[in-house]
Amino acid sequence: MLKVSALLCVCAAAWCSQTLAAAAVVAAAGGRSDGGNFLDEKQWLTTISQYDKEVGQWNKFRDEVEDDYFRTWSPGKPFDHVTPVTLGRASPILQRIIPDLGTRSPGQPQFTKCRSPELETFSCYWTVGNYQDLKTPGSVQVFYARRIAHEWTQEWKECPDYVTAGENSCYFNSSYTSIWIPYCIKLTTHGDLLDQKCFTVDEIVQPDPPIGLNWTLLNISLTGIHGDIQVRWQPPPSADIRKGWIALEYEVQFKEVNETKWKVTGPLWSTSVPLYSLRLEKEYEVRVRSRQRNLEKYSDFSDVLYITFPQMNAVTCEEDFRFPWFLIIIFGIFGVAVMLFVVIFSKQQRIKMLILPPVPVPKIKGIDPDLLKEGKLEEVNTILGVHDNYKPDLYNDDSWVEFIELDIDDADEKSEGSDTDRLLSDAHEKSLNILGAKDDDSGRTSCYDPDILDTDFHTSDMCNGTSEFAQPQQLKEEADLLCLDQKNLKNSSYGASLGSLHPCVTLTAEDKPQPLLSDETESTHQPASTPISNPASLANIDFYAQVSDITPAGSVVLSPGQKIKAGIAQCNSQPQPEVAAPCQENHSMNSAYFCESDAKKCIAVAPHSEVTSCVKPSFNQEDIYITTESLTTTARMETAELAPDAEMPVPDYTTVHTVQSPRGLILNATALRLPDKKKFLSSCGYVSTDQLNKIMQ
Amino acid sequence: MNSQGSDRKGTLLLLVMSNLLFCQNVHPLPICHNGNCQMTLQELFDRVIMLSHYVYMMSADMFIEFEKRYAQDHEFIAKAINDCPTSSLATPEDKEEAQQVPPEVLLNLILSLVHSWNGPLFQLVTEVDGIHEASDAIISRAKEIGEQNKRLLEGIEKILSQAYPEAKGNEIYSVWSQFPSLQGIDEESRDLALYNKIRCLRRDSHKVDNYLKLLRCRIVHNNNC
Repeated sequence: MLKVSALLCVCAAAWCSQTLAAAAVVAAAGGRSDGGNFLDEKQWLTTISQYDKEVGQWNKFRDEVEDDYFRTWSPGKPFDHVTPVTLGRASPILQRIIPDLGTRSPGQPQFTKCRSPELETFSCYWTVGNYQDLKTPGSVQVFYARRIAHEWTQEWKECPDYVTAGENSCYFNSSYTSIWIPYCIKLTTHGDLLDQKCFTVDEIVQPDPPIGLNWTLLNISLTGIHGDIQVRWQPPPSADIRKGWIALEYEVQFKEVNETKWKVTGPLWSTSVPLYSLRLEKEYEVRVRSRQRNLEKYSDFSDVLYITFPQMNAVTCEEDFRFPWFLIIIFGIFGVAVMLFVVIFSKQQRIKMLILPPVPVPKIKGIDPDLLKEGKLEEVNTILGVHDNYKPDLYNDDSWVEFIELDIDDADEKSEGSDTDRLLSDAHEKSLNILGAKDDDSGRTSCYDPDILDTDFHTSDMCNGTSEFAQPQQLKEEADLLCLDQKNLKNSSYGASLGSLHPCVTLTAEDKPQPLLSDETESTHQPASTPISNPASLANIDFYAQVSDITPAGSVVLSPGQKIKAGIAQCNSQPQPEVAAPCQENHSMNSAYFCESDAKKCIAVAPHSEVTSCVKPSFNQEDIYITTESLTTTARMETAELAPDAEMPVPDYTTVHTVQSPRGLILNATALRLPDKKKFLSSCGYVSTDQLNKIMQ
Repeated sequence: MNSQGSDRKGTLLLLVMSNLLFCQNVHPLPICHNGNCQMTLQELFDRVIMLSHYVYMMSADMFIEFEKRYAQDHEFIAKAINDCPTSSLATPEDKEEAQQVPPEVLLNLILSLVHSWNGPLFQLVTEVDGIHEASDAIISRAKEIGEQNKRLLEGIEKILSQAYPEAKGNEIYSVWSQFPSLQGIDEESRDLALYNKIRCLRRDSHKVDNYLKLLRCRIVHNNNC
């Protein structure tokens, strides 16, 4: 009895609970159907928003790394928040399934993803969570509803395809897919709502991965270490890119095989990309993924492409090109050795001179050093007498001044009979010969070593010439070192010294009156004698200039002439008859030496000679030898300058460059500072021809 | 004299004609007669699609920017989703439908869609300006979209007049159910409305872009894209 009654009670209770549960379910369902009138738009949307809020499951659709494009449908209030109250009274079964709809825990059955790969179809996936009994087919249903043209479909339709997309999926083919239409799907089991989701298809696009990855080698670096490749792929075949229905962009990732971090390139719109500077001995792997442009959801990665380069021969590495220093050093040493041998053993004096220029030995020609040692002064002195370079430094300008003797009368005598005549005589050949003679030491200063080259010979000629003329206008005996020495040595009178000076004077006399070059100057030579005699008082004084210095080359530097000023004063006072004459006449007559260019200049600027000639006669009278300054001053005279710089020290003599004709000498002009044409270094009294040309021009 | 004149006229005419021919075939630059400039249909489509893609891109960016402010506010987002006013236009909803609609009808639909956005875009610029929290990105993009939309409209009108001149004028002037006015409402409601508007803009610009691409394949390449 008791057993039966107990059994009856249990059965009744079970039945009651079942009915109650059924009623609850019906009530809940009925409540849902009453509340969820799909025709009522506002309520539908409210329902959705409520549902969205409290269901935390939308987070599931969010990618861990990227933003969720389902953010639109972020969790709102769950639709079922009404139902828990109901379900609280519902069967424990339901409570077990949906214990607390406030949150969606991972173990709950819910939609995991909805995805459209090509904007033409879509599919939704769910998980049953911990409730394995829901895995049996048919236990779970998916319903969907979509809103077309302001109207919601009246009922929920069941998923058309549970199979195509795999397990726990619902696939909507193109006929069921409308792109820009809101959809809502729900997951139910036997009418019980498990999950619900709303979206539009254009928001859930996630393309398929690209296919057909391959690579080609673009080029290899010269070193053979690095190379460039081009990676190509095909867009996913499902995407209709050709017609433009969907536009994709790609992201390429690559890395070395044993690395952990991928290098990312993208997003790209093209289906190929170059990868530069990959090391050829290493292996790489590449993968590509795609996404629709302007969306954020990337596809899965494509299959990984492994890149292995064909083994290159390591010998091709050319980067060890070293500059051939070794070869260069060897050749350099060889060349130097050859040169040395040539130099040392060559008989050619010229080459020897070039490579090993002779160091001037302190040597006096003709003097045996032994004489000096032995102290035979007389012999030494006699020998020294023939050399003019013995006492170059003994006298400075000041000392010269001491020796100034104005001996006008004597000058007249001598000018008439002796020096001047001889100077103006036609003993050209003799002087020429003397000048031409190279090795004749007699009566001639040899201020050069016979070994010196021809250029030096010319220098020595100049030296000779100037040294011969190195007689101060009043200090002839001092100016001429040769003669002076003789005088000092012999204490001779002026006349005696003059006599002894004959060699020099002869030379000077012979050399001076020879005009340079031109035949015209020769022609004017004869009448030049007369003007010379006129200012006889000054002639002798002007005939010589004092030596101020001896250049290392052996040529004599003359002190500035002081007669120019007087001559210029003369010019202003006395118009010389020679004014009308061309300047070259004056030059040629009174000055034995003038530069070729000056001569040319004089010839060329004959019309200007009136101005110039004013100064020139005086100049010529005073200074037999044209100095560089005087030349330039004459040049400057052409520009209507009548008063040259009185302060300027003007060398009176120029060295003889060459002997051109029996009556011509070309004077050298030393280097001058071209910008300062009027001023010359007092120590440098020689102007080279070219520079003088420039000065004159 | 007459012969000379006629010769000159003949050569001039020849020159003009040859120019027209050559220009048509070789150079895509428009040849303008009386203020009407003719361009090849392909060139027109290319330019218009460039514009439409640009507008779509701008709209998507603007949406992302705006959404950043409310990314965590799910409640807001859920409340914001509303119907788009342009839903009343019966536009094709998938590719097959779009391919079945006659081109001129589709062009007119596109024209209506683009045209219906002119006003709301202008409103959008002023509304976004008013939001002091709105970033410059949103404001600048709104202005840009407003500008380009007008050009897009001109382009589509040109295509229509050139390809289907007889269909011009059949534009469906949609009843534009206005976006709710944002005057005098609280901030949250204003933001909600803006969010919805931008979402709708993105959707519609995507539609226009896709339709135009389909049409290009159909009209210019005869479905041999």
